[in-house]
Amino acid sequence: MNNIYLPHLVTIEGIYEEAPDVRTLSLAFKDKALADSFVFKTGQFGLYSAFGLGESTFCIASPPTRSGSIQCTFRKSGRVTGGLAGLSIGDTMGFRGPYGNWFPLDEWKGKDIVFIAGGIGLPPVRSVIWNVLDRREEFGKLTVVYGAKTVNDLVYKTELAQWDERGDVTLVQTVDPGGETPDWKGKIGFVPTVLEEAGPSPANAVAVTCGPPIMIKFVIKALGKLGFADESIYTTLENKMKCGVGKCGRCNVGDIYICKEGPVYSAAEVKKMYDDF
Amino acid sequence: MADIFLKTEYLDRLIGSVRQAGGRFIAPCTDARQTVFKEAHAAKDVVADYILAHNSYKEFLFPQTEVISTHKVKKDSVELKGIECAAQGTVIFGARPCEAASLSALRAVFTWDSIDEFYTKREDNTVVIAVACTRGDDACFCTTVGLSPDSTAGVDVMFKEAEHGWAVMPLTGKGRAFVEKHKDVFEKAAPAVKPLFYPEKIKGVDIEKIKERLSKKEHYEDPVWPELARKCIGCGACTFTCPTCHCFDIIDEGTAYEGERRKNWDACQFDHFTLHASGHNPRDTQYKRWRNRFMCKFKFYPDKFSSKGCVGCGRCIRVCPVRLDITEVMEEMSLRP
Repeated sequence: MNNIYLPHLVTIEGIYEEAPDVRTLSLAFKDKALADSFVFKTGQFGLYSAFGLGESTFCIASPPTRSGSIQCTFRKSGRVTGGLAGLSIGDTMGFRGPYGNWFPLDEWKGKDIVFIAGGIGLPPVRSVIWNVLDRREEFGKLTVVYGAKTVNDLVYKTELAQWDERGDVTLVQTVDPGGETPDWKGKIGFVPTVLEEAGPSPANAVAVTCGPPIMIKFVIKALGKLGFADESIYTTLENKMKCGVGKCGRCNVGDIYICKEGPVYSAAEVKKMYDDF
Repeated sequence: MADIFLKTEYLDRLIGSVRQAGGRFIAPCTDARQTVFKEAHAAKDVVADYILAHNSYKEFLFPQTEVISTHKVKKDSVELKGIECAAQGTVIFGARPCEAASLSALRAVFTWDSIDEFYTKREDNTVVIAVACTRGDDACFCTTVGLSPDSTAGVDVMFKEAEHGWAVMPLTGKGRAFVEKHKDVFEKAAPAVKPLFYPEKIKGVDIEKIKERLSKKEHYEDPVWPELARKCIGCGACTFTCPTCHCFDIIDEGTAYEGERRKNWDACQFDHFTLHASGHNPRDTQYKRWRNRFMCKFKFYPDKFSSKGCVGCGRCIRVCPVRLDITEVMEEMSLRP
């Protein structure tokens, strides 16, 4: 019998502390054939199991351009994420996926890309960023605007430094007022405001954003002010999910099942949706 | 096959015949003075004078709780096993035509794109025998949603009450095979059937108008929603008794070393249903959850799956502890521009 809820077994190959209570796991499929044949596209998500505790939904935070393993980044905040945070290198967990749609990278060839993320919203965007960097010559100017509550809450600190040093990425980092440290060299302010100040050009450009729902709403507004058309703004709506395959009934925004028709949408599509996310 | 008749006293033989073949015979039976669908062992268990069983029979196709996998966590590995759905042959006897119409809704959600075989295997092994309604109450509203006391959607064999038995009408291939298999208990006769009970169509309700109204984004901000749903206490009883509600949770049970994963009924009326780990909740107040359920019935299902989300069985009305009547909301929504 084909059991659509049965996860694949994966081994934890690496654990990276990103911020307080936020960590990244590198996962390799135990099944050799699956490891070789597994493919996904940037923006897709999966269900991750801590056996005995349950499943949680996260995007695949690594890019499809780097095969061999997949990564997820999560904040320890409940039963399942608590369980996942308690696992060690070499331990076994579960993965189902990839599910959902993806960012249409091939349509973006030759364009500038502006990435805007807040807090734990960077992982899905990071998959796109590395995917784009691994195909760097196909795209124009790249700008990353990233903010978190405090300096300590910024995730992927090493990678932020790498992007900053490359010379072919404009990186703007910010923390909320009060979240700065004495030696903080980035901006202080909320992501939508900092984005407007940075003022990336909307000409032949697309924007990719993820973060808390309230931030996404204001970022879309700010991008509008900068002249970005709704059709060229992309986001990923990560609602709560249990099945990932359009059956359990909770991720819907109006009649749209995020797990099936999303999670990636243009702002034009988001604006047509019921205000239910 | 025409003029098939089942004598009242031969119901016992039919049950015996089904059980002998290894099947289970689900029928309205008495349980703690309520009439509920459960397994009948003999005709004496089956209740005759009921309007509608208290529970929907969906629980025999989509159990309230079911194991989908088991796991053993060892030092260096995890032993994970998927459960094979046994799907025992099942006869649902005494379903009402309204609730039988819910099967297309359940089938749609469990089969669009990926297929949940826990559901399909059971449904494929189930024969639905509906008994057309000769009685009803003021919560019945099948005629308002376009069904009737003898509508055939989802019905494999229709029974109609007659003096001393039922006129039997097989409607599907599965139904014809069932009658053929148990042909010894049936006989040839065409007695007069009893008149059916037609609930009065609620005049103010227009299903198309409701859908039109719900298709306008502005209706989300309509102050009528908080007002209509104010008395809802979020108990979820409507969803559990509803024959089309299908939402579920996936949870692990057991110890840290050994346990099972289960699919359990869940309800969109519960505040934790859509609660994110961050604390954000897209449907953070009861009226938003109530609005979602109403829209699921009258817009999402018809649009997405071309099937009825509400079959007019009235269970949600009978079971609601605060008398929140869905037909009143249907009337209200039909009135609005």
